[in-house]
Amino acid sequence: MYDYTIIGAGIIGSLIARNLSKYDIKVCVLEKENDVANVQTRANSAIVHSGHDPKHDTLKAKLSVLGNALYDDLEKELNISLLRSGAFVCAHDKTEEKILDDLYQNATLNHVKHMEFLTYDQAKILEPNISPSVTKVLSLPTTKVCFPWEVAFFALENAINNGVELRRNALVTSITKHDFGYEIKTANNEIIQTKHVINASGVYADDIAKMIHPTIDFKITPRKGEYFVLDKSVKGFIHHVLYPLPTSKGKGVLITPQVHGNILLGPTSEFINDKDDISTSTSGLSYIKEHANSLAKDIPYHLIIRSFAGVRSSSTYDDFYIKEDTLNKGFYQVAGIDSPGITSAPAISNYLVDEIIKIDLPIKKTYNPILKKKVVFKDLPKKEKAIKQTENPLYGRIICKCEHITEQEIVDAIKGPLGSQTIKGIKKRARAGSGLCQGGYCESLVLKIISRETHTPLSKVNYDQLDTPILCEETKVKL
Amino acid sequence: MEGKDLICIMCPVGCHLNVDKDGQISGNKCKRGLIYGLEEIKSPKRMLTSTVKTNFIDMPRLPVKTSSPIPKALIFKAMEKLNDIIIKNNVKIGDIIIENICDTHVDVIATRSYRP
Amino acid sequence: MKRYDLCIIGGGAAGLSAALAAYDDQLDIIIIERENQLGGILNQCIHNGFGLHVFKEELTGPEYAQKLIKLIYEKKINFLLDTTVLDIEKTNDFKITISNIKDGEYDIHSKSVILTTGCYERTRGHISIPGDRPKGIMTAGSAQRYLNMDGYLVGKSIFILGSGDIGLIMARRMTLEGAKVHGVAEIMPYSNGLTRNVVQCLNDFDIPLYLSHTVVDIKGKTQLEEITIQEIDEHKNFIHGTQKTFKVDTLLLSVGLIPDVKLFDHLSIDLDIHTKSAVVDQNLETSVTGLFLCGNALHVHDLVDDVTIESQKAGKFARTFIHQNQSEQKILKEILIDEHIQHIIPQVINFSNVVDPIELSFRTLKKYEKVNVTITQNNQLIKTKILTYVTPAEMQKVSIKASDLISKNPLYVNLEEV
Repeated sequence: MYDYTIIGAGIIGSLIARNLSKYDIKVCVLEKENDVANVQTRANSAIVHSGHDPKHDTLKAKLSVLGNALYDDLEKELNISLLRSGAFVCAHDKTEEKILDDLYQNATLNHVKHMEFLTYDQAKILEPNISPSVTKVLSLPTTKVCFPWEVAFFALENAINNGVELRRNALVTSITKHDFGYEIKTANNEIIQTKHVINASGVYADDIAKMIHPTIDFKITPRKGEYFVLDKSVKGFIHHVLYPLPTSKGKGVLITPQVHGNILLGPTSEFINDKDDISTSTSGLSYIKEHANSLAKDIPYHLIIRSFAGVRSSSTYDDFYIKEDTLNKGFYQVAGIDSPGITSAPAISNYLVDEIIKIDLPIKKTYNPILKKKVVFKDLPKKEKAIKQTENPLYGRIICKCEHITEQEIVDAIKGPLGSQTIKGIKKRARAGSGLCQGGYCESLVLKIISRETHTPLSKVNYDQLDTPILCEETKVKL
Repeated sequence: MEGKDLICIMCPVGCHLNVDKDGQISGNKCKRGLIYGLEEIKSPKRMLTSTVKTNFIDMPRLPVKTSSPIPKALIFKAMEKLNDIIIKNNVKIGDIIIENICDTHVDVIATRSYRP
Repeated sequence: MKRYDLCIIGGGAAGLSAALAAYDDQLDIIIIERENQLGGILNQCIHNGFGLHVFKEELTGPEYAQKLIKLIYEKKINFLLDTTVLDIEKTNDFKITISNIKDGEYDIHSKSVILTTGCYERTRGHISIPGDRPKGIMTAGSAQRYLNMDGYLVGKSIFILGSGDIGLIMARRMTLEGAKVHGVAEIMPYSNGLTRNVVQCLNDFDIPLYLSHTVVDIKGKTQLEEITIQEIDEHKNFIHGTQKTFKVDTLLLSVGLIPDVKLFDHLSIDLDIHTKSAVVDQNLETSVTGLFLCGNALHVHDLVDDVTIESQKAGKFARTFIHQNQSEQKILKEILIDEHIQHIIPQVINFSNVVDPIELSFRTLKKYEKVNVTITQNNQLIKTKILTYVTPAEMQKVSIKASDLISKNPLYVNLEEV
């Protein structure tokens, strides 16, 4: 019997799990995918917004400003990567400048700090590649950029260290109400009995909610966003997150520097019917190029290494839907978490636990909020490298030559409570395959390391989901 | 026999040859095309390069080739014979792996050595 | 702190050939190779067609490699395997940061460096093919490695994008090992590979070649299920209604090779946007004195024989450079090209060190049946050559002698269709 079961191990579910792990209660997280942080958390702009944009007096406004500040704590406690880039919202004419003023007013009401207006000339000194079509800029220095799945991983690993259980490949197929609380059945035939349920299942939040409340008062309206990724050799091309003026479609096509030096261009914004549709399109990618050009000049498109798309769980409810279910006590909905979801995530977790669930328990003595800093070998000082290599010679073999990732880091990414046995999972954790050649060199090496470390035949090592082996069949073998 | 079109592979020009129903070649810009066309119609031959399985953990496959071209029609049969081989002992470049494959009087030889 | 005369980065065809040409018994040479064997890409190119020029016999890739490796052992040239170069810096000499399991990360120093790091393959991400992103999309070279070195087919039902030689070779190879190859699509109106390969790899197996087609959609949730190709016209616009769909589990990409020059990151070096690599003079020296570049890392070659011939030049000039022991003033002038030429190597001439002959290699942008190549200096014609059956897929070569040069001014290379 669990006290709390969280459905969904994205950034939201992971931070909620960490929060609950403070208390002497039994917590379980159910994730339908083969890896955590594999859907929305895996495909977004990675921005920790300042909180300038959501309408004043909404939960989105309140929790994004709070969340932005809480990222500093996450950096200290979980050792997450954080880029303090700041941001420029760019206006191109008098009409847009008026909207910029309104944005400033809204941001002031939201208590966003340190904002200032810049002329084009002032902005150009700080951002030499800003488009000459920009006339006025609102500078938002509190804007940061994170590495979203890393935040989820570290929060969840910390939660697991503090006693939380994780079950992967646990797609929820039914939830029934009982005296003790709820009984959840999963596609892999697990039965979970739990006193409380927290629905943090992203684009499927309405489907999960409907399992116990068929007339729930929100519907997820999935919205797709496509992106380009530029190789990290573009580092320094722009320093700040560049926003156009927001519209009803959202924040628009942005140019975003990333934690590891890459630059993201995008997203588009398109309502879709199929929640699983994360395909990219020629029109979407053209749209990005068209609009990015109004923010920066001479964008090095020849350094595109990838494009991807993600789905946001926009909903018919005009704000974050964070409530106890009206018909089912002890069932909490954390739904409609689209932008500024990443930003608000730590604050959403606190809001749910402190103000909605209102947990009134002492923090357990054994709770440790700190997660030891992970080794990113290439960033270590020379002396430390030498010590580590003597202890673990596998730090000496370079596997991903584009990003300088060592074999020991791959091995560490495979092991542990949140380890992965897939090519994609290793890429998310150790970054092998994220560079210029996109895994052309290292994929076969990573595959062999996974096979060795997990005692799995080469032909059974998966790309991402279960049953997606990279290798189809061994030749010249009699069946 | 029906007329057949083929591309000569003897030089970079790649003449488009035609062989009519009487076996006459046309379209060649030189004599080598004539020879190629005739052989290609009568008994086309190809070099076969492939690999064979080994027991060596650090070299699971050994590359091999036919020592000269073999009839095109026997290529897949030759592949089947290659698939039955497992190299267990040290092998040197040029070693015969299969002698007289499919009765062609052509050997299959190793194209690299294994040095354990 | 170990100090060498010459450090060669990459032990494939280019690196081995350069080492052999640079060798004399006074020089301390080291080859650094990241794999656990020498030979580079030749080890997985188990097919025929190499060595006709250099060794006067038709060899497979491994056999070609073995001929070079045998000479490396005979000359007792040193090499480090399983070792990756992380960085190069230049001050008085070259500081090269390397790493391996045995000794961890450390620096070596060298008077001179030849970079022979080859190429990497363009991926789906680089060319932004839209659609789903399931497993099953891979570069042809990766599939070749899995099949020929590890012994695994990456799929049973294949489509190939790109008719360059690697795509054609893999069409045949996959078929021979039991997969079904449904077709090869090529965005240009002609195949990029050797005609002999189209015949022996596609026609022999009745694999259709779809010229002027490219992949426009990919479908599959977790695993590839289907791809769609579409025809383009001469203005690169898609033609309505020409979509063709194939149910496949694998899409192999043979869509271009890019020189692997990441090690230039911390060097101040002149680059050529056409080749995506460095500018070199006729002695294959880059703008960084003592740093030479050859093989696929300089520009993509069609034949490994050309790689060897070019790398022998680099090795020879590196040796001269080391023995000279002084940096002289270089007189560098550009070799300018007209709009018919994609790129040319070398891009500059070093007039202070002209050794016969000066070999120019270039690729055109279009196909021509017959062209006249003219080289002028000071508006005077200094060399002319007729070339036939010219295609972008085949590197063209023109030589000029030192005595052809009439001044120390830039050269202009023009093409005229005849």
